[in-house]
Amino acid sequence: MISDEAYKELEEAVGVDNVSRHPAVLDSYAFQPFENHESMPWCPRPVAVALPSTTQEVSEVIKACNRHNLKHKAFSTGWGLWCGPTTDDVVQIDLRRMNRIVEIDEKNMFAVIEPYVCGAQLQAEAMKVGLNTHIIGAGPNCSPLASATSMHGVGHDSIYMSYSARNVLGLEWVMPTGEVTRLGAPGSGKGWFCGDGPGPSLRGTMRGYTGALGGMGVFTRVALKLYNWPGPPEIESTGTVVDVMSEVPDCLRIFGCFFPDKDRLADAYYDIGEAEIGYNCLKVATPAFMMILAPHLFKKLKGTENLRRLLGGTLGQMFLIILAGISREDLDHQVDVLKAIVDEHLGFVLDAKNIPTLGSNLAMNFIRATMPALVFRIGGSFSTALGRNDSLDTQLAWGEAIAEIKRGYAKKEMIIDDMGDNPYFVPYENNTWAHCEVVYPYDHRSEKHLAGSSAINMDFIINAIESCMEPMFGVVPSARKVLSPLTSNFNRWQRKLSEALDPDQTSDKGFYTDEAEFDFTNVPPERVERLQKLVEDLTWTELGPPE
Amino acid sequence: MSLEDYRRDIEGCSRCSSCKWVPYNQIKSWRFSKNCPSIYRHNFHTYSGSGRMVIGLSLMEGRAELDETVAEMIFRCQLCGACDSACKTYRDDIDISEVLLELRSYCVESGELLVEHMAVIDSLKREGNSLGELKTARGDWARGLDVKDVNSETCDVLFHAGCRYSYDPDARETVRGDIQLLRSAGLDIGVAGVEEACCGGRAYELGYRGEASNYADDVLNRVKSSGAGTLVTACSDCYSHFQYIYPKIGKELPVEVLHVSQVMDRLIDNGRLDFKHELPLSVTYHDPCHLGRKGEPFTGVWTGDKLDRPMSLKRSGRKGIYDAPRNLLYAMPGVELVEMERIREYAWCCGAGGGVLEAFPDFSASTTVERIEEALATGAEALVTACPWCLRVFKDAVDQTSADLEVYDLADLALISAGVAQPASV
Ligand SMILES: Cc1cc2nc3c(=O)[nH]c(=O)nc-3n(C[C@H](O)[C@H](O)[C@@H](O)COP(=O)(O)OP(=O)(O)OC[C@H]3O[C@@H](n4cnc5c(N)ncnc54)[C@H](O)[C@@H]3O)c2cc1C
Ligand code: SF4
Ligand code: SF4
Repeated sequence: MISDEAYKELEEAVGVDNVSRHPAVLDSYAFQPFENHESMPWCPRPVAVALPSTTQEVSEVIKACNRHNLKHKAFSTGWGLWCGPTTDDVVQIDLRRMNRIVEIDEKNMFAVIEPYVCGAQLQAEAMKVGLNTHIIGAGPNCSPLASATSMHGVGHDSIYMSYSARNVLGLEWVMPTGEVTRLGAPGSGKGWFCGDGPGPSLRGTMRGYTGALGGMGVFTRVALKLYNWPGPPEIESTGTVVDVMSEVPDCLRIFGCFFPDKDRLADAYYDIGEAEIGYNCLKVATPAFMMILAPHLFKKLKGTENLRRLLGGTLGQMFLIILAGISREDLDHQVDVLKAIVDEHLGFVLDAKNIPTLGSNLAMNFIRATMPALVFRIGGSFSTALGRNDSLDTQLAWGEAIAEIKRGYAKKEMIIDDMGDNPYFVPYENNTWAHCEVVYPYDHRSEKHLAGSSAINMDFIINAIESCMEPMFGVVPSARKVLSPLTSNFNRWQRKLSEALDPDQTSDKGFYTDEAEFDFTNVPPERVERLQKLVEDLTWTELGPPE
Repeated sequence: MSLEDYRRDIEGCSRCSSCKWVPYNQIKSWRFSKNCPSIYRHNFHTYSGSGRMVIGLSLMEGRAELDETVAEMIFRCQLCGACDSACKTYRDDIDISEVLLELRSYCVESGELLVEHMAVIDSLKREGNSLGELKTARGDWARGLDVKDVNSETCDVLFHAGCRYSYDPDARETVRGDIQLLRSAGLDIGVAGVEEACCGGRAYELGYRGEASNYADDVLNRVKSSGAGTLVTACSDCYSHFQYIYPKIGKELPVEVLHVSQVMDRLIDNGRLDFKHELPLSVTYHDPCHLGRKGEPFTGVWTGDKLDRPMSLKRSGRKGIYDAPRNLLYAMPGVELVEMERIREYAWCCGAGGGVLEAFPDFSASTTVERIEEALATGAEALVTACPWCLRVFKDAVDQTSADLEVYDLADLALISAGVAQPASV
């Protein structure tokens, strides 16, 4: 409940039409099904929802909350459980009205945007001036500001445009106290061109690897580095996603590269990184393609062992790569290099130029990252074994181990069988490191699947620890509580930072530093024991890592 | 069907927000990237397709109660179907449009009624039309035309004018011209004149299902007694209702149903209609929701798991009528078609639908103005549409904003180009 007095102050901050405490409105914000492993898709109801339209209004909303001992939680587009409140005293700040592209600086290759600009909008506008923006793998519906400031940041184009947090060239931040600060060059009024100043540097303060997931005030503007786009101002296309057909610009070539095994695949990746080619690159499980494009057919065929062997085995070790050249010579050179690398590692290339409809479908779908949400088609939801960023071959080995775990659960029909390892795997920055997530589809409306998804996640975590990887548990603070001792107790440092910048702990930190106890209800006792043993053996002490 | 029958659809929502955007591959600019007029205006997630589905869940779970405010949230929606088409680019198991209709029926059954909608229903009951006009004047539009009266004669093609074309003085000439053109192409046409009544689709959309059913019976009986093999309508709303709502409520018409643009397109194809008069005009075409995505035929009620529903039964909006109107524009000498950014199944609504024009005129007008601005951005001289409801709100908005844009009914351009009407008449 929110007091009339507090509500009135919110109304004064954003205007009466832009705040609500009607239960039906609040419920539309309490509905957060994605990665919600409860049987009903709710999170705690916010006490009110406010829609500020300026930084000043955000600041006033936060100050009003602070005066009335209410927490605040912001989101940009609001996709996922981590966007909603975690306690019942939270004002949800929906940033939808802050939707402007403030500036695209063509010469200096950056854009300044507000939270509710989505990836597709920014890309469409950037392309008009020969530039492009990084779009995360979740899709172009997401906010580039949100992924740059608050959560993850990995996408198909990471080979060229890296990780969202790397692209931040300046930031405007309403702190949990309500104060407005600017980081990087804008902090000294010098423009939005450098995240490290002149002005206060932002690295490690604004976010660490995962982001604060709404637990550290509200980010209201960000300057993002833009990259070269050698193609036309607009890619002409018809259709929407599955049926999209685009005119592939002359500056692009699209290839599927297939290898006999994962080691050769990894070696080819390293060589591609060294050669500094590639605009967009994603390792895709071939069955996943069939699953998202033709789920009905897939369901019928997935029992077929030979198909499983063909798609998951023979055609399993592949990636899709888009090359972009600034001239015909440049593009030809990149194509030659790619073919030589694939040859050297005993692979073969499938040139989309020879299958025009395929290239025409993939071009837009990959450049704009529009396909991933098709994973929802087969079962209504999916989840992912979040691997940590690591070296390429470690990631690939982990992907295989995880696939084994998945198969067990699929056999018991506790998740949907996707016929393969189905990793979301992208290399970064000259392919010195990569990100691997192993996706598994399930139906969150099925109790059996819900139980399966809780248990399988624990198996993934245990496997990651056993494989000497750091399990990525950034979005589940309760898991972080269990596992941070394995990774230098980094949560303690997060807490210190959080206490320094938010002395009264006014942001909702349920996905940041407030760490509830992990719920082991659906995890078999022997797995709990195994986890506890691993944690015991591998915990860091004051003196450093375990022997 | 009831709201409860769609619980799985609702619970299936992932909250991805695709229902708020033009399908992403078709986003061409920041300015024209949104697709839902309701959330565009009201901003809270509640006002999106997803948000309204959640209202349904909240009501079913007893978390929120239906009151006047909730009813208004439900009715502040044009039922344009853009959310449904966008969602279906990713999902096979969610029928947002069905949920939106169920919510309205739920409101009406629970007694949460809007006065403005009650006035529409009252007019329907008393005068057989949704516009508050006199029943006795219904047939005036056809006075003096050389056309059969199906109340006393049989015909091959029954022409249903619809409420707006029958009464709106700005639209009447268009249907008169339609009749002349179709007659001159040799079609054996009949109209019901004063006996024609509303198709009832509006009543269904407002949540008054009993009334809708009565009017469907009326049309069904007339179609049968006319001996016609084809029912032609010039109204996109009526077209959608015949194609979709009638079969859904068990009143499928036993004849082929065509929009007048489809008939003209066919006539051109088989050489019975020729556009020979030069019309030097650059135009942009507005896809009426009810002819486009909402014009897709009913495909049956799927009672099993929708994840197993064959693709052929999924109403994705793609199978609406998009090409016939464009074919006509292409066939008109001198006419140049410049497309807007939001077209076909992701077209922006005109603002007139879902009872919004009647109950929330400000909201309706802001939706219309948004489309006018999009049309202006193409640089075209004229905005063309194929629905009298769109035509009405576009004309009013252009008048009010003094926008430098002509507004035409597609049929009027066809009539000029075919030489049936003189340019001065439009
Ligand atoms: C289906 C799915 C697939 C995904 N795949 C990927 C992927 O491939 N790569 C990847 O990097 N991530 C992925 N994610 C996670 C993704 O990074 C986040 O959902 C988010 O960053 C995307 O932007 P958004 O606009 O949806 O942010 P939101 O969903 O609005 O917010 C994400 C988080 O950031 C916080 N936040 C958002 N905006 C602000 C702000 N202005 N100020 C303060 N806090 C804020 C929110 O509280 C929330 O915790 C995926 C998520 C989903 C649901
Ligand atoms: S597009 Fe569909 S799944 Fe996504 S939020 Fe809207 S209703 Fe839900
Ligand atoms: S039907 Fe139209 S107005 Fe209503 S929620 Fe869907 S997109 Fe919005």
